Amino acid sequence: MAEYVGIDLGTTLSGLAYLKPDGNPEIVPNSDGERLTPSVVFFDSHEDVKLVGSAARDGGEPDRTIFQIKRHMDDPEHLVEIDGKKWTPAEISALILSKLKRDCSKICGDITDVVITVPANFNELARKSTIAAAEMAGMKVKRLVNEPTAAAVYYAHSQGVKGRILVYDLGGGTLDTTILEVEGDNIKILTSEGARHLGGSNFDDILLDAYAEQYKKQTGAALFSDERHRRRVLQATEDAKKMLSKLQRVNDTVANDQNSGIARIDLSREHFEKLIRNMLTRTVFLVEQALDSAKLKTSDIDHVVLVGGSTRIPKVKVILEKMFGKVPKSCGNVDECVALGAALFAKKSAKIQEVCNASYGTLAMVYNAKTKEEKLMNSIVIPKNTPIPCSRTQVYQTSEDNERIIEVDITQGEDPDAKYVDVIGRITLDVPAGRPKGCEIAVTFSYDENQRVRALIVDKQSGRSKEVAVSYKGAGVLSDEELKRRSAHLRAMRIE
Amino acid sequence: MFKILKSLSKSLTGHKPATEVKKPAEAPKGGVLNQVAKGNAAPAAPAKVKTPEELCEITPKMSKDEIRAQLKLLYRRFNRSASSLDAKVRGEAETMLNAIVDVREKHFGEI
Ligand SMILES: Nc1ncnc2c1ncn2[C@@H]1O[C@H](COP(=O)(O)OP(=O)(O)OP(=O)(O)O)[C@@H](O)[C@H]1O
Ligand SMILES: [Mg+2]
Repeated sequence: MAEYVGIDLGTTLSGLAYLKPDGNPEIVPNSDGERLTPSVVFFDSHEDVKLVGSAARDGGEPDRTIFQIKRHMDDPEHLVEIDGKKWTPAEISALILSKLKRDCSKICGDITDVVITVPANFNELARKSTIAAAEMAGMKVKRLVNEPTAAAVYYAHSQGVKGRILVYDLGGGTLDTTILEVEGDNIKILTSEGARHLGGSNFDDILLDAYAEQYKKQTGAALFSDERHRRRVLQATEDAKKMLSKLQRVNDTVANDQNSGIARIDLSREHFEKLIRNMLTRTVFLVEQALDSAKLKTSDIDHVVLVGGSTRIPKVKVILEKMFGKVPKSCGNVDECVALGAALFAKKSAKIQEVCNASYGTLAMVYNAKTKEEKLMNSIVIPKNTPIPCSRTQVYQTSEDNERIIEVDITQGEDPDAKYVDVIGRITLDVPAGRPKGCEIAVTFSYDENQRVRALIVDKQSGRSKEVAVSYKGAGVLSDEELKRRSAHLRAMRIE
Repeated sequence: MFKILKSLSKSLTGHKPATEVKKPAEAPKGGVLNQVAKGNAAPAAPAKVKTPEELCEITPKMSKDEIRAQLKLLYRRFNRSASSLDAKVRGEAETMLNAIVDVREKHFGEI
């Protein structure tokens, strides 16, 4: 049995690593002989089989192929319908995880307990869905760990460094930056910031637009009219993008599927860099945000570490070098280190101090004595970057006489402006009648090591209280019952 | 400064605070998972397209440090709403992020 196993469930690629008896992690290849498995699922129409990986990615039926399901893990309403059956993002992810489990256990032994990585700013629901996906695939999630944390654990282990590290993880679908302190085996996370929907596939889309424009110019026709052909061209743009990480120029030819002729695409690295400059500037903002959150300057960072396939783009390194005045390092293979770090984390989690990735609070009317104004604001109870697990209490007052019901909204987000935070739950508590305003209500939020939040409200006078974990409803959110049923069903499926 | 739980002031009395946040016109996805509306609906026909500076509320009088601080605040805010489940909110965030990058390039140069 493989005791310490880590899985990187990526937007475009997924990987599994285990800890060898010598204490070093190793990637376990899948049955197709690949170290990483494309996170793509294909539902065959002839046979009752689900293909996962390269075979799925390279097949040609877009309506039966699911790409980048990870981007929907936080959407409670997202369902994928195939042959009349509706699949949740967690179930699709479970198919990917099943393939990893089945294939890899042939090599490293039975896999039961795992650490799975998630983007640092994955919200509650996305984390819950990830845990559900693993359960459906027949694995128990020991811990969820943030991707940049896992990468940093691997970097610290393999390079034996100490000091402050900034991890810049630009993958297929997300950007994460984390700052941490390493001292021997002990790792302290200082902050994590993330940008969802900023990654390599955005660059592919930008190139796709450029290809389509060129095609239109040269032939007068549209480059694609259906999803199948769009996918093909998109694959070509991704290949061109990768080539441009090595070469200064790439020549390509493209055609549509309507015989409108062939167009020549002549693409320089310089032009590509210009096309993605807006996106790269956004990544700089995020790095600055991480530094601000940790109250650090660029000169306080000892090592800048590159993670994620998109950091192979030379301009990324140039920008970071200019910013920090030092050459960024990569920890071996940039798209394997998250899984490798997760396997290490499975063993060393006790030595790693993580922090709360978002602020949690409630909506409150805040009275400003100076201006005599009352304003609805986001009142933070647990600030972002508080070491976890943690629990914090804030006392509020009632504002009306004879309040009967106390409602507490649970917010997620740092912005003081209530308009710019998410309300992720609500607790209501009945309290005794006939009391004047000004009664004290204690609101306690606790945060566990899987980055999940619970809230407790206590009416101080009556002692009445209520506690809830944030729960989600939506077509794509499964009940425990349903989860069990679907797990059993999934285990009987043919997945290759 | 003291804090009062927001919902208390409206419970049973039907009285809503003036600053009560509007819920999005289209119900947010996901039952109890409700999301606070991000900003007000755009006016029916905007008279003229706003410049990036106008969108970011950058005035000619602002110092470089003030502009930097404003861009940071806006980036934090709209990077967050760029992953909202509400397509309208995401669209607004995209426009703002583009404006933020434009203003940065204009005042502080390209990366
Ligand atoms: N040589 C290269 N040049 C540019 N981009 C590359 C190169 N090699 C890989 N990529 C891009 O890296 C991305 C995949 O990286 P990675 O495997 O780290 O992402 P992921 O883990 O699947 O995604 P995420 O971490 O966002 O969930 C793809 O968009 C791919 O096109
Ligand atoms: Mg990744």
